[in-house]
Amino acid sequence: MKHLVLMIAGLCGIATANAQINLGKGYLSGSFETNTIYYLNDSKIGSEPTDHFGSNNYLKLDYTLGRFSAGIQADAYLPALLGYELGERPGANHFYLSSKYIQWADTNFEVLVGDIFDQFGNGLVFRSYEDRQLGINTGVEGIRGIYRFGNYVSVKGLYGRPRLYTKYADSWVRGANVNVSLTDIFAMDNVLLTLEGSYLNRHEALDKDAMRDFAALGLTGPDLNLYSGGINFNWKNLFFRGEYAGKGKDLPTAVAEKAVNGRAVLGEIGYSRKGLGVSGTFRMLDNMGTLISLYETGTGNVLNYLPAITRQYTYMLANLNPYQVNVEGELGGQIDVSYRLRNREDRYRYWIFHGNLSNFYTLRREQSQTGNRELLWLDMNFDVERQWNRKWKTTFLFSFQEWNPHHGFKHRTYVSNIFVADVTYKIDHKKSIRAELQYLLSDEYEGDWVAGLVEFGLAPHWSFYISDMYNKDLTKTNYYNGGFSYTKNRTRIQISYGRNRAGYICSGGVCRYSPAYTGCNIAITSSF
Amino acid sequence: MKNLFSLLCCVMVYCGATAQSLPNVRVENADGEVISTSSLTGSKPLIISYWSIACKPCLQELNAINDQLEEWREKADFDVVAVSIDDVRLRATAKARAAAMDWDFICLFDINQSLKRAMNVSQTPQSFVVDTAGNIVFSHSGYTPGSEQLLIDKVIEISKKE
Repeated sequence: MKHLVLMIAGLCGIATANAQINLGKGYLSGSFETNTIYYLNDSKIGSEPTDHFGSNNYLKLDYTLGRFSAGIQADAYLPALLGYELGERPGANHFYLSSKYIQWADTNFEVLVGDIFDQFGNGLVFRSYEDRQLGINTGVEGIRGIYRFGNYVSVKGLYGRPRLYTKYADSWVRGANVNVSLTDIFAMDNVLLTLEGSYLNRHEALDKDAMRDFAALGLTGPDLNLYSGGINFNWKNLFFRGEYAGKGKDLPTAVAEKAVNGRAVLGEIGYSRKGLGVSGTFRMLDNMGTLISLYETGTGNVLNYLPAITRQYTYMLANLNPYQVNVEGELGGQIDVSYRLRNREDRYRYWIFHGNLSNFYTLRREQSQTGNRELLWLDMNFDVERQWNRKWKTTFLFSFQEWNPHHGFKHRTYVSNIFVADVTYKIDHKKSIRAELQYLLSDEYEGDWVAGLVEFGLAPHWSFYISDMYNKDLTKTNYYNGGFSYTKNRTRIQISYGRNRAGYICSGGVCRYSPAYTGCNIAITSSF
Repeated sequence: MKNLFSLLCCVMVYCGATAQSLPNVRVENADGEVISTSSLTGSKPLIISYWSIACKPCLQELNAINDQLEEWREKADFDVVAVSIDDVRLRATAKARAAAMDWDFICLFDINQSLKRAMNVSQTPQSFVVDTAGNIVFSHSGYTPGSEQLLIDKVIEISKKE
């Protein structure tokens, strides 16, 4: 720990020294984040952690001088918070440089050496990204070059090895992405039309572990090839985006028993004008899951990005049983409609109507023991937001959710009806109070739930809240929480205490399992 | 814990020692075109606010700014840039929602969070005020109703200087 502080102080010192000696017009920027929990024993939820302390910390520094930039990110897990897969892996590092880079970016030319965060197309074949809430960092350590032939054609190439939790995987990826703007080539007016193509190769030796016989599973060589082609169209109020992706024989999950080819289709269509927005997203996945390493497991061992395409809620009970994507085979999508009706004479009076439908089925009949294509997820929901005047705002939400706990293997679904009322009252220009009341009605699984929240805001610095979530039928357990936050410019400190339910924590449609715990949490974010 | 606080203090000490410019990153606009963020600066101060579909306080902040926009623009001339960090999961929804909200903003879609990363945004909501020279002169993290006033106060302050 002493070394950690010294090292980071040293890094800051070097960086600041550069800024102070004024290397041209260079500047330093950075951010710091800590999420630290002291865990308490709580027999009611069966939580008796052996280590009562967990702390995830991130320090990121960037230096920019004209077209040149460089940066580092140091991660410290002291140890990792409960439920973070990276802390549970054997030989996991507690403190390491999770990314570093040097980049030169000209108008038409860019080169980056270091850890690359990028995606090809819609991420069906490749995406490297960081999500601290999930403990995922799949940045590729290597080199990336981009060249743009005016606005007509853009070509990108990269080569490197992806990060797998606290270390790098022993697999290598190389790929290219080409983007062609037909709008610019044919000088089209008012229409945006681009074509995109991607290729990615993953190379990993199949003989690293004598206990694993990949040949018996159908893998014939160390190379996997993925490819995709897409179109992006925008005309007046309409937009459309489509992509087809395919891949060679591969194990789509860490527990797959047979190598198979994979394919995926993604389509997005939308119409928008002032006050109205309609969008639809459709996706088919057929064994498109792609691992960074065939030898490893975990949520972070993913080379492409296949999130759940469903509505993401901000209310506790509506997020209780989130949909998890079925990469082996699913077919479905979502439709979303928003409409805003504003009073012509008073900007502070308006209605917002919003409806959403998301629905997913298994792709193939053989995915289920029934021999039928089974429902994986259905969510029909709507919400109405009413801003009455400068002081009052109310929101009402209803969601009907039906989900299959066996990922379609059995013909069995659970149904939940969720009701939410949300009221905000602005006492004066600094003080406000917000209250939520939620009810989940269900005859299945854990039965009924009720939840409430009260939040008091004292702008611009303070916010206080208390909440409780109670299972009425099965566990009869209260999940209480309370805390406050203080914000000063770019620094925010939040201290809270509470009991947390075991379940899936989702971010961007990707989920990780978190065990139940009771504890005191301090979270600080700061940037400069 | 003691060392953790030392580490934090270390970072804080350096916070005041530097100034940041708006990084030049290529992102998509509401028409689907890829633009460079450097093209946004030069004529007017900017309020840049990050949001996502699943971030309730972000939407609260942007709606509060939009409600007061006419009154604010009587005091200073500026643009509001709303940066969505929704990825492929909710990108189409975010695009349609931005139009439905009737925001009088420049809407950007930072699909792989390149701009978010370059501006060192750890959590949303996070808002910035950028002057006409492209310098980030103010930033605020989180949102409580009323805290949007800090943004316009800063815009008015720099408009007077410029």
